Amino acid sequence: MIKFGKGNLATPKQMRPVYIVAAGMSDFKKHYPEKKTEELAVEAFRMLALENGLKVDGIQELKRHIHTCFYGHFADHFGDQLLGESVIHDRLGLDPMGNCGVKTGGATGGSTIWMAANAIASGYSDCALAMGWERMDEVDTWTGNHYIATAADKDYETELGHIYTGYYALMAQRYWKTFGKSSPKFRRTMSKISVKNHGYACSNPFAQAPARITVEDVEKSPIVADPLRFYDACLMSVGVAAVLLCDEETAYKLSAHPIRLWIGAGSHTLRTADRRIMDIPLLPNEENNKDVLKLYAGLKGGKNKERYPGFTGFLAARMAAYYAYHMTGIVDPCEELDLVELHDAFTISDIQTYEDIGLRPYSMGPDYIESGDAYLKVPEDGTFPKSLAGKKGRLPSNLSGGLIGNMHAVGATGIMQVGELLWQLQGKWAHFHARPEMWERFGKKKPKDFVNLQVPNAKRGLAISHAGVGSHVTCTILMNPKSVIKK
Amino acid sequence: MAKHSYEYNNMNPTATVLRRLDPMVIEKPRNPIHIHTYGGETPFFRGLTEGRLMATKCVNKKCDPSGKAGYYHLPPRVYCPDCLEKMTWEDITDLARKTARIHTHITVANPGAFNRVPVPCEIISVEIDGVATVIMSYLRGAKPEIGMPIEPVFETANPTYTILDLSWVPRR
Ligand SMILES: [Zn+2]
Repeated sequence: MIKFGKGNLATPKQMRPVYIVAAGMSDFKKHYPEKKTEELAVEAFRMLALENGLKVDGIQELKRHIHTCFYGHFADHFGDQLLGESVIHDRLGLDPMGNCGVKTGGATGGSTIWMAANAIASGYSDCALAMGWERMDEVDTWTGNHYIATAADKDYETELGHIYTGYYALMAQRYWKTFGKSSPKFRRTMSKISVKNHGYACSNPFAQAPARITVEDVEKSPIVADPLRFYDACLMSVGVAAVLLCDEETAYKLSAHPIRLWIGAGSHTLRTADRRIMDIPLLPNEENNKDVLKLYAGLKGGKNKERYPGFTGFLAARMAAYYAYHMTGIVDPCEELDLVELHDAFTISDIQTYEDIGLRPYSMGPDYIESGDAYLKVPEDGTFPKSLAGKKGRLPSNLSGGLIGNMHAVGATGIMQVGELLWQLQGKWAHFHARPEMWERFGKKKPKDFVNLQVPNAKRGLAISHAGVGSHVTCTILMNPKSVIKK
Repeated sequence: MAKHSYEYNNMNPTATVLRRLDPMVIEKPRNPIHIHTYGGETPFFRGLTEGRLMATKCVNKKCDPSGKAGYYHLPPRVYCPDCLEKMTWEDITDLARKTARIHTHITVANPGAFNRVPVPCEIISVEIDGVATVIMSYLRGAKPEIGMPIEPVFETANPTYTILDLSWVPRR
């Protein structure tokens, strides 16, 4: 569809408020032969039940509240188990409560929360579990790449190299040439994202790929699909994440610090081939901005005739943000939010997403990094001007390390992001990241260069969960109940 | 046509490969063949084996916006994505020869399992005048550039009966 009616653009309604009260995760690794997926699921659930300060006397009392369960798992091929949801549900001992599997590629985690939130918002359930996982270590990378490529159209795309990264990289290349102008400066911005996210992962005991690297390291790493290099790409992980959603009454019964949750979802064609030229749907901070409207008029026309938004932007992300901003009353995300967790599948797609969700107008994404906005504290390593170095960023991004530094256990990813936001908004980041015990339980030692990444007084956060070339995207917004914008 | 005769049922139960003892890790072999139909999109794939590029077009006058714009769809669709009426097939080989160009491209050095595109794979997205979409394909015998004029090549001698029967070369 490239023309919308009123019904398509209606602001999604929650018939009653939705709250999030707890999160739990396993650690994330590339290979995890020591444990089966269902063991990791139980461990994540135990953390959710026992370590979030819930006002319940143990696991069994919490389980008596849970009414429905939504399970996110992207790839049956990888797990080699149909109805994997049922295996996990059984190990959690949550039968005979209703459960449902959710699959939307890389956005599976976000979509799982979407389903659980709708169950609460509609009144169907007062307490719903959203859990997601992935196990990608049963096959070699070569076969794994084929499996992932079967998420593209099998007749028209998969045969072309059996490599999903390539299909995505077609879009990256277009953005790189059109807006990046293939410039070393733009390349440097991409590299800074990888340095940032690997760096933040160093303070995350759950993370798979903590690393103190430099922009030079990124730019010297092997090419995966030009212009994307090894350090530009996300991880492939094994792991589990879970969150618990409730209605208001149950939320306050269970938790002293429940957080409000809204979520919107968008989609776009599975095949990039089908991305037709269309008008750019506008976000609240663009609608009446003459400069932005003038910029967009120029982008659409001209000799390039950009296929907007299709090859250089993600329409699905734009739509998800459109719904979520209208649901919550957010106008300027950089001003009204305190932190974000974005789907940094690649450094360049992270930049594209800044534009889709209105952190910057289309074509100006790199400025979100270069302005220092994306950092908790702007690096003092000489990569930023002296006037910015050491300053506090306006809207820190991916303090968990994101998909590049922390994990991409596909079905778990969107849930991990929201779990991290919850802990930040509850002021519990240190409880889950700073205690030496958290590192030791995963066989690690708390590093000497550990940095406190709790955002001071964080009140509002946003998470983007995104599938591949942009077939599905969800936008989740969390707010402290005292800081809700739209009453 | 090639016939596969993989035997599914004769795996020797003693032949499991043990990778590790603790935790116990084993190999689970898989080798299935899928029997797959192109259904109503058959004219496109048959066209490739006969040296023709077949696209579809919505001719429903009430359709908004496809019908009005008269745009071709490639990949073809049996039904119009806007009005869901049956689309009409047309041969656009000449149009492609005269106007096709590269919208974007990527070089894949390490393709996934089962790949049959020559390595490095020069994957391209193709713009054609009058076509609303940009089909993904691959380029032979040249380094791709955005905007490069190209023309289609068809694998009519030894068809694979897949999308690989269509490729592109720089326009002569
Ligand atoms: Zn139509």
